[in-house]
Amino acid sequence: MNKTFKIAYSLKNTYRVNTILYSLKQVPVLKRLFPQELYRDPDYKIFANIMSGIWEFIKAFLGKFLYFLIMIALAAGFCKTVPERQTFLHIFVILTLIGAPTNTYIFNPTKDKYYALILLKMDAREYALSMYVYEMLKILTGYLIFGMIFGKMSGLTIWQCLLLPFAAAGMKLAVVAWSLRKYERTGYAVSENQIGVRGWILIALSLAAAYGIPAAAVLGIPVIGNCVLPETVSAAILVCGILGGIVSFRKIWTFTEFREVYQQILTQHMHQVEEARRSVKRQSEKVIQIEEGAGSSRKGFEYLNELFIRRHQKILWKSSKRIAFISLCIMCAGILGIFLFPEIKGKVNHLVLTNLPYFVFIMYCINRGTGFTNVLFMNCDHSLLTYSFYKRPECILKLFWIRLREIMKVNLLPAFVIGAGLAALLYLSGGTEDPLNYVMLLISVLCMSAFFSMHYLTIYYLLQPYNAGTEIKSGTYRIVVIATYLFCYGFMQLRMSTFVFGLGTIIFCVVYCAAACVLVYRLAPRTFRLRA
Amino acid sequence: MIFIDDISSDNIYNILSSKAVHRACRKEGMYMRFTIEHLVKHFEKKEVLRDIDFTFESGKIYGLLGRNGAGKTTLFNCLNKDMKADGGNFYLEEGGQKRETVPDDIGYVLSAPTVPEFLTGREFLKFFIDIHEDKIEESKNLDAYFDYMSIAPEDRDKLLKDYSHGMKNKMQMLVNIIAKPNLLLLDEPLTSLDVVVAEEMKQILRSLKENRIIIVSTHIMDLALDLCDEIVLLNHGVLDKVDKTDMDSHEFKEKILAVLRDERPID
Ligand SMILES: Nc1ncnc2c1ncn2[C@@H]1O[C@H](COP(=O)(O)OP(=O)(O)O)[C@@H](O)[C@H]1O
Ligand SMILES: [Mg+2]
Repeated sequence: MNKTFKIAYSLKNTYRVNTILYSLKQVPVLKRLFPQELYRDPDYKIFANIMSGIWEFIKAFLGKFLYFLIMIALAAGFCKTVPERQTFLHIFVILTLIGAPTNTYIFNPTKDKYYALILLKMDAREYALSMYVYEMLKILTGYLIFGMIFGKMSGLTIWQCLLLPFAAAGMKLAVVAWSLRKYERTGYAVSENQIGVRGWILIALSLAAAYGIPAAAVLGIPVIGNCVLPETVSAAILVCGILGGIVSFRKIWTFTEFREVYQQILTQHMHQVEEARRSVKRQSEKVIQIEEGAGSSRKGFEYLNELFIRRHQKILWKSSKRIAFISLCIMCAGILGIFLFPEIKGKVNHLVLTNLPYFVFIMYCINRGTGFTNVLFMNCDHSLLTYSFYKRPECILKLFWIRLREIMKVNLLPAFVIGAGLAALLYLSGGTEDPLNYVMLLISVLCMSAFFSMHYLTIYYLLQPYNAGTEIKSGTYRIVVIATYLFCYGFMQLRMSTFVFGLGTIIFCVVYCAAACVLVYRLAPRTFRLRA
Repeated sequence: MIFIDDISSDNIYNILSSKAVHRACRKEGMYMRFTIEHLVKHFEKKEVLRDIDFTFESGKIYGLLGRNGAGKTTLFNCLNKDMKADGGNFYLEEGGQKRETVPDDIGYVLSAPTVPEFLTGREFLKFFIDIHEDKIEESKNLDAYFDYMSIAPEDRDKLLKDYSHGMKNKMQMLVNIIAKPNLLLLDEPLTSLDVVVAEEMKQILRSLKENRIIIVSTHIMDLALDLCDEIVLLNHGVLDKVDKTDMDSHEFKEKILAVLRDERPID
């Protein structure tokens, strides 16, 4: 058993080390720093092993530290109307009851179990038991240390503190033993992730009980607030947990059919993972709608584009129209508000004249750019990029312009509604001395929309992040997307006069679009490829 | 050769030889060679193609035989410039004139068929012909192409996403041969097709070999022996021609197996 544990643990470790190295290699800057033969180089292996050790340590201790601190001690500290240690025990007992069936370790289908048991065909019983003992020891030590610290701080007696780790482990053991018995009876093994609707409802109710009852006590709702478990009841449940664990231990130790159990859990799980992966592609194929008749008189790429737009009406134009409609409603509501409550006029006027930066984020949120490039890839480029004619520079550029035109059109509709609406709001709420402000509002909102359209299409053409299996493979692309979000989010903090900001936006958008065009012209013929 | 006899009776061949496909832009009967010189490709430290050095001649079907993972797909990807080779070069020789390959020279049919799902078969074909309008001099009626590929009339106006694997494969093959590439690369073309479609494909390939170089990769030896005029082995990163003269097919198979089995470490 000792040997099995060593092999299993080193396998798990290798898997984790390689995951760490792989994720580091995804970061564009770090990629250069690491040599090609990263996975073989002993120095990097040692480095990654240390990282892996730290990770294991963090998971074992930091996780439990935060759990006790945030989920239990702090929450219990809020409730002043009930003795703190009573609340502490109340929350701990309920959370542990939830955790026992949802965090069993044994029934958690993980990749390393799949490798060890299905691919390497290790002895399932030894594997399960040795890894389980290891996990239980981690729990016992973690809970012992932090249970002691935080328990003492919340005023628990030493005996109560000592109950915590053993009760938690005991409940987990009891659940596992119960599941194994169920397997013996029915022949079906259920992974801990298959919770089901009833399970989720139960979890939600338990969470509500864990935090809702003390909260009610604070708010002074005695009917519910009085339901905080009395200390003796909590202690009794914990003792029951320990007893249950002791009784269950034998069952787990003598259980012989771990292989069958794992076979079921793991193959089911791998099947689900595979299904999920495939369904992404199927989902995007589902949005294709075929219409009756309606031929096209165009030729070549215009023909391709027209059919593409027409067959993807639903996700391109429908949602754009919906957003435009909702924007229109909001603008109308604003205008109606001004007529009904003239006293808000000044406020609205001030808002429109200083809060244009806010609209960067709003325009970011309503832009259809990522949806467009995503479906472009999934349903069109994914296949056509395998044909060499499609990769000829003049074809790539020609299609780029056509697509830019289309995506701008799709996005301009809501942008126009918003821009015009803002100008109208400004006018009706008292107007402004400088009539240029109206123009500025409309044009800058249109520019923002054009910018986002250009931006998404450009990064799609320059970074083409997908591989043939339709997974996003480019770390740079991810970083650019996140940076875009942060950039736009940052504007929410900015307050600036509409005129200055509008002018800045227009200049920025024009410069950006020009730069993007040059870049696409220069680079896209080389970068617009399927990733290996 | 044997193939000629058994196809000349076949109507597929008749359609082909009589109509556009043969007569078009290429000068009839031009002898052509495709030469690869010292092509090298490695992934990280793993050398997949070590020193590919070979000359292919027009009018023949070459069977590129290699074990799983030997690098057949990698070689095709390099030739199609989907992947940058790490060394070496390749060129076409037409009438004694050497020149770089351009994308239009090469038709590449991937093992997993990929077609734009949102188009119907007919629309995809029309789009493709539009794009290549200047190269297809004598354009046929679209249905003639479908007939040629034996794609049933009721399927021609269905979305490609609803096509079966074999039908997608046929579409991919069709657009690749319409453009009349000088070099036709087919990666494991028949491996996952049912027997009827596979037989149709074989006939089509044989009828196409005139005036062009066809390279078919496969790991199935019997297929290579059945379809191809020359067998080329990709083994340990190098290409070798297997001489077929004075050997019966059993001896020949044994020889190929012996070469492929030879487990030299690759590094
Ligand atoms: N993009 C890639 N990155 C790393 N290794 C690769 C890549 N593509 C192929 N390989 C490796 O190159 C070898 C040859 O692969 P491939 O050309 O697909 O073989 P074949 O088509 O002959 O079965 C394999 O060992 C494979 O693991
Ligand atoms: Mg292959």
